Amino acid sequence: MTISRRVFVKSGGLALVSLGLDPVFLARAAFAASRPVPASAPILVCLFQRGAVDGLNMIVPHGDPVYYRERPRIAVPRGDVLDLDGYFGLHPRLAALKPLWDNKSLAAVHAIGSPDATRSHFDAQDYMESGTPGLKATPDGWLNRCCQHDREHANTPFQAVAFGPQLPRILAGAAPSLAINDLQAFGVRGPAAARDRLTRAFEELYAGAATGLLATSSEEAFEAVQQLKQANPGQYAPANGAAYPRGPFGRALLQIAQLIKANVGLRVAFADVSGWDTHVNQGASEGQLAARLADFGQSLAAFAQDLGGRMRDVVVLTMSEFGRTVRENGNSGTDHGHATAMLVLGGPVRGGRVLGRWPGLDPAQRFEGRDVAVTTDFRDLFAELVARHLGTQDLAAVFPGFTADPARFPGAIGA
Amino acid sequence: MQKRLIALVVGLGCGPVPPASVGVQPAPLRRPQGGAATALTPHDSALHALNRLAYGPRPGEVDRVAAGSVMRWIDRQLDPDEIADQVLVERERAFEVLTRSRGELAQQYFNADRERRERQRAGSAGDGNGMADSMRMQDTPGPEELAARRLTGQFVALTVMRAALSERQLREVVVDFWSNHFNVFLGKGADRFLLPDYIEHTIRPHALGKFADLLIGTAESPAMLFYLDNWQSVAPGSLPPGLRRASWPGRFGPGFTPDALRAEGRRRQALDHLPQGINENYARELLELHTLGVDGGYTQQDVINVARIFTGWSIERPQLGGGFAYHDWAHDRGAKVVMGIRYPAGHGMDEGIRLLRWLANHPATIHHVSRELCQRFVSDEPPDGCVDDAVAAWMQSGGDLRAVLSAIVHGPDFWAPANVRAKVKTPFVFVVSALRAVGAAPDTTPRLAQVIARLGEPLYMHVAPDGYPQTEDEWVNSGALLDRMNSGLALASGRLPGTLVDVDSVIPTNTDPVQLIAAVNATILGGTMTANTKRVILEQLADVADPARARALAVGLAVGGPEFQRQ
Repeated sequence: MTISRRVFVKSGGLALVSLGLDPVFLARAAFAASRPVPASAPILVCLFQRGAVDGLNMIVPHGDPVYYRERPRIAVPRGDVLDLDGYFGLHPRLAALKPLWDNKSLAAVHAIGSPDATRSHFDAQDYMESGTPGLKATPDGWLNRCCQHDREHANTPFQAVAFGPQLPRILAGAAPSLAINDLQAFGVRGPAAARDRLTRAFEELYAGAATGLLATSSEEAFEAVQQLKQANPGQYAPANGAAYPRGPFGRALLQIAQLIKANVGLRVAFADVSGWDTHVNQGASEGQLAARLADFGQSLAAFAQDLGGRMRDVVVLTMSEFGRTVRENGNSGTDHGHATAMLVLGGPVRGGRVLGRWPGLDPAQRFEGRDVAVTTDFRDLFAELVARHLGTQDLAAVFPGFTADPARFPGAIGA
Repeated sequence: MQKRLIALVVGLGCGPVPPASVGVQPAPLRRPQGGAATALTPHDSALHALNRLAYGPRPGEVDRVAAGSVMRWIDRQLDPDEIADQVLVERERAFEVLTRSRGELAQQYFNADRERRERQRAGSAGDGNGMADSMRMQDTPGPEELAARRLTGQFVALTVMRAALSERQLREVVVDFWSNHFNVFLGKGADRFLLPDYIEHTIRPHALGKFADLLIGTAESPAMLFYLDNWQSVAPGSLPPGLRRASWPGRFGPGFTPDALRAEGRRRQALDHLPQGINENYARELLELHTLGVDGGYTQQDVINVARIFTGWSIERPQLGGGFAYHDWAHDRGAKVVMGIRYPAGHGMDEGIRLLRWLANHPATIHHVSRELCQRFVSDEPPDGCVDDAVAAWMQSGGDLRAVLSAIVHGPDFWAPANVRAKVKTPFVFVVSALRAVGAAPDTTPRLAQVIARLGEPLYMHVAPDGYPQTEDEWVNSGALLDRMNSGLALASGRLPGTLVDVDSVIPTNTDPVQLIAAVNATILGGTMTANTKRVILEQLADVADPARARALAVGLAVGGPEFQRQ
């Protein structure tokens, strides 16, 4: 049986396949409703810091002497930290985010992570994207499941978009989701006169002969091409003087902003940002990690500035598969750890606070004696955003096997 | 799984099984198979073999392979050194990067970095011509930097060239497999100049050899030692002999001189930059990705102890392109236990070799790597029987990769109709197979590699150590498919960057659209074109009068269409 997990889910079960019905057609028919999406509908932007960001040097516990004791070469000196609340502070190269903290649209959640103990990047990323820590068989991603029962967005191919060459695990599943590497180049290219005709030809080729993922993905592509043509995003100039850093992450955020402003019905967006696996010479106030944080912070700040008032509809969530060791390793770097820190940014966010329960850094307080302990299950935060921002009622469908309890929500969104 | 393996071993021990004297003998269980014994016609068998064990057929190749027996072609491919490859050898002469040693490449990058720093200094010392000027200066690479980039670009182009033109197709496919299994990221520091040597002298020679040799080769390779940081992993508290003792007796001692003071300053500075303990990065990925697999049964403590075993495995001056160096002073000589196996105190590099050999033939490793191979060659969800055949061949041959591969391709699952055309091509396979289909060749520039990069698979640029995925759910998505359609159209109209194509010699123009479509079907799709595709292309050709344009359209739609995405 070589049916891929995405097709399997879209089919709603193998039974349909064995009946000889075209499962893809059936699944897509379920999305055939059409109601316009209100321009003020909530949007969730998920950003994955792949490689396990060092939460301790991103949101620095400068009030904890253990932090300085364990990191003689890589701790961010107290004088350099941008203090947030007297105990935690921003890495100095995240300075671009400080105004967002001050205007209460940025919050951080510390000591957050997975209940699963794995220190494998790939398993931990998989769990964070499937939303089912410890379970590898989950066929789809939680961000896709968020979209599976949303009839308001059923008429837009743009409800779920990942920016990059691949569709990530988090968006795998039955709900249509696009991967767009370059918005400007999204479509069949050719002389203007021939373009529509070529597009139709390919559409017919794939409609008639493609099976499985090739069929569903191509269908989604052609719907999106059609709609994008109508929306005509054209040449894009960021508003409010926003300057996105050059580089793939800034470019991805720019394109997300562009798509949000094009009002094509975007509901969830996703992008990767890599370079966090700092085993060697990660640096302190300056250095390798600092450079990545600068790009990260400036890109986020540019995004918020570009969207301006539109940020009232938007929540940005940053995540990473795990954190890094409390103690620096033999190479002025850090090895794979457990809990990390995540950021939540946007109009609906009750910002200006570091959320979550801080477990402390004493060896006795650490996970397995070495890593920051997890005091907030990442699903508590994700579920809060899904419920209170996106308005999804059925959290059990989004996070199967997890009982979402509002009492455990970190409180990132005004209740 | 354990139980099943034991059963297999017992089966091997008492069954009427010939000894595996030659690597190309198929696995003894569940035989015999091969194209002739299945539902596939000789033509379809040849097409399948060329799709999976090669980068797709070239014009006429399906018929040639079918006529001469598919199994004979496969056995020849399993013995690549016996295949003449003169065309490629000639082409390789244009690749200067192959004549440069690791050290020479390092020197090139050293010069390039110095040049860039000087340019930046000149830029920042600008006299008020403004930011824009200095930015422009910094953005314009100088001759040394261009030379360095050109050499790296050449190496990536060479990979595409070999895949497209080599007669030793199976070896090229297997090299791609191991380049991903033992992935090294070209973008990380010294790996810019260590990687070509790694592919040439570590991966390629062992690609069809013994797994243990490949594993040990990668463990000792400067490229992997740098990529996964092991070169800096040392026993805590260890110091190189030259830095152990202060070279002056103290400020008020009898030997106090300005020279001694300076020497001590240098010593202390060197100490500040010394690694001070273990680094787990390589140890973990060795267990998780290279050998046992993530469910292989190891613990965090095992990872730490494996890291201790590899302390001192380093590189002699990596920034100068140096080779492997074992530093005994950095090695943790204490006793260790890894997954229940004791490594007594007092050992040096030998315990690392012992561990690698043990890992290379651990049942979890055999199963993990066999399954990956089946996933690449047979199906995204390989049947258990196929994996079992590979495991049996592995155990019987002591990890001879040629024997393992032979067992897979001689097994019934490889030829099962359900597994034929069941895999979607990766971007690399898609582009190279498109070139081969129209008899095109890459030029020596990296432009074609850039096309593959835009499709999502920039060669040697996968950041994480797991390498590029091999399954369709990772590669098929809306944007990627549109890009493939565009690449098909570009190739057919001679606009694909970095490609030399002469479609005339492969598919002559034909004013009869039906005949044209038949030729496209036979040459490019191996006769797999569906009725729908024929109809759509025919409609498209209806009002195209120019025969060259008609052919470009038909070829472009075929290459960008759904049939050609499968292999």
